[in-house]
Amino acid sequence: MNELLSILNKVKPDIDYVNEKHLVSDELIDSLDVMTIVTEICDEFDVEILPTDVVPENFESVEAMQKLIMRLQED
Amino acid sequence: MSYTSYFYLLFFLGALVILYYLMPLKRRWLVLLGGSYFFYWLASGKLIVFLLITTVSVYLGALAMEREQKAFDSVRKSLEKEEKKARKAAMMRRKRHIVLAMVLINVGLLAFLKYYHFFSANVNALGNSLNLGIQLPALKLVMPLGISFYTLSAVGYVIDVYRGQTAADHHFGRLALFLSLFTNITEGPISRYGQLAGQAFEGHRVDYRQFTFGAQLILWGLFQKMVLADRAALLVSTVFRSPSDYSGGVVILAMFVYTLQIYADFAGCMDIVRGSGALFGIEITRNFHQPFFSRSIGEFWRRWHMTLGAWFKDYIFYPVTLSKTNMKLGRWAKKHLSPHLGQVMPTAFALFFVWLANGIWHGAAWKYVAYGMYYYVLTLFGLLFKPMIFLFYKKTGIQKDSRPWQFFLILRTFILVNIGMLLFRADSLPVFAGMFVSMFRKTTGHWLELGLDVHDLAVLAVGALLMLVVGILREKGICIRERIASLPIIWRWMIYASAFCAIVLLGAYGSGYGVVDPLYANF
Repeated sequence: MNELLSILNKVKPDIDYVNEKHLVSDELIDSLDVMTIVTEICDEFDVEILPTDVVPENFESVEAMQKLIMRLQED
Repeated sequence: MSYTSYFYLLFFLGALVILYYLMPLKRRWLVLLGGSYFFYWLASGKLIVFLLITTVSVYLGALAMEREQKAFDSVRKSLEKEEKKARKAAMMRRKRHIVLAMVLINVGLLAFLKYYHFFSANVNALGNSLNLGIQLPALKLVMPLGISFYTLSAVGYVIDVYRGQTAADHHFGRLALFLSLFTNITEGPISRYGQLAGQAFEGHRVDYRQFTFGAQLILWGLFQKMVLADRAALLVSTVFRSPSDYSGGVVILAMFVYTLQIYADFAGCMDIVRGSGALFGIEITRNFHQPFFSRSIGEFWRRWHMTLGAWFKDYIFYPVTLSKTNMKLGRWAKKHLSPHLGQVMPTAFALFFVWLANGIWHGAAWKYVAYGMYYYVLTLFGLLFKPMIFLFYKKTGIQKDSRPWQFFLILRTFILVNIGMLLFRADSLPVFAGMFVSMFRKTTGHWLELGLDVHDLAVLAVGALLMLVVGILREKGICIRERIASLPIIWRWMIYASAFCAIVLLGAYGSGYGVVDPLYANF
């Protein structure tokens, strides 16, 4: 969780990632931010994210991103 | 057939609505398919064959990919881990070959018909200047109507099937209807299979509410196109026909009026097609979402021609960013340049292809390449200087959400977009450069000698103001159609009658006005 929060704060600092649950639908992060987050996650967690994984549901909150990372690590 | 012509509105649409609702529910799609092919044939004649090639190729390609997937799925449970992995890789390779072939056939056709002239002219010019003796022949090529739109829909469909996001369609008629639907074929929106195919194929019963909403949208679309866009076209063409005759305020006026023209033209046509779809119970995807309320270039492109931006995002931006080579590039930049550059490099690299594609999709000329690069540079600027922008807000204490600052951001984006529109409309890059510089000179030319009299300019100004008011109401989440529907019948019909009279009395047609084809139909 802390590693992920550190990535998010590096990409876009002024957001309350712990409490925000609609990062994409509330337009707090856009597709450019999402892709920057994705590339950082791939590097940091050694997972491969496919274009089909890049859907709003997977990036709405820290929990959703964490769930995605865990799923990809299990694959 | 123009969406604003009497033939379309009174005969084609009228007859199709009657036939559609007379047909048994399950066969109503046949009326839409027949009508769409008739519409296409009237506009493009024998060029309909290109639409058929695309439809047949993606139909067969998707089925072939499904066969590969099913063959693997039928044995996967009985396989050992290693063999399963190897078989899956082989299956994915074959699917990749099929999808690649589909993309090459369809994008190849589009590229050949749309870009051959541009390509051969540049190769020949280069050959001549370097004395290489290369001379590509001049070919008489005609662009089939809407090829830039239906090709993207078709390619999106096969890629979705390849990715497993959509099942291959076994019903040829449903796929053919999805790719040819008369509402979308001329200038989009670029619909996705999952969003459109099912609901266009499914028979719909008459829904009074949806029917009246559709009629209202058509009226509003006609108002934007015929009263505003076609009137603005006179002023715009006067200035852009001989740009060296004008400077200063007149060029600035022409630039703003062109932005109004293209917006009223494209958004107006989109409202007509969305309204037309609603008459049949079909919800056509929105292509505009009050783009001139955007606070950044990125936001503008999420609100302007939304289906094109979304297509580029899903089929170019994501896969290029996530490609292995690009990810390696990011790691390299992080190690050798700086952590920030390493972070933005993969995105910046992918964005180059997105904006290049966006530029050349609009036309085969260097000015369109420059148009794409203009937005690429603006987007890149925001990406690279993000830490500085963050620091700027921190140091100055500017409240990002304050009204004056939001207004400033909207105004800044509006001006940047207008400069982009000037580049888009100018005949060539040197003409754009000349016009841009001339904006800062003393005004030459008079605003009342640009093809529009005071009455026309007043209509334009009031119309633009009306569009602004409608935009503000929509931004506030107010559904104007719902409000109209809730009014007493006498008021409702007075509004309809006023809109109809405004189009008939103020529409820019007849003596003194030329017929203006929808601007995006040429792409």
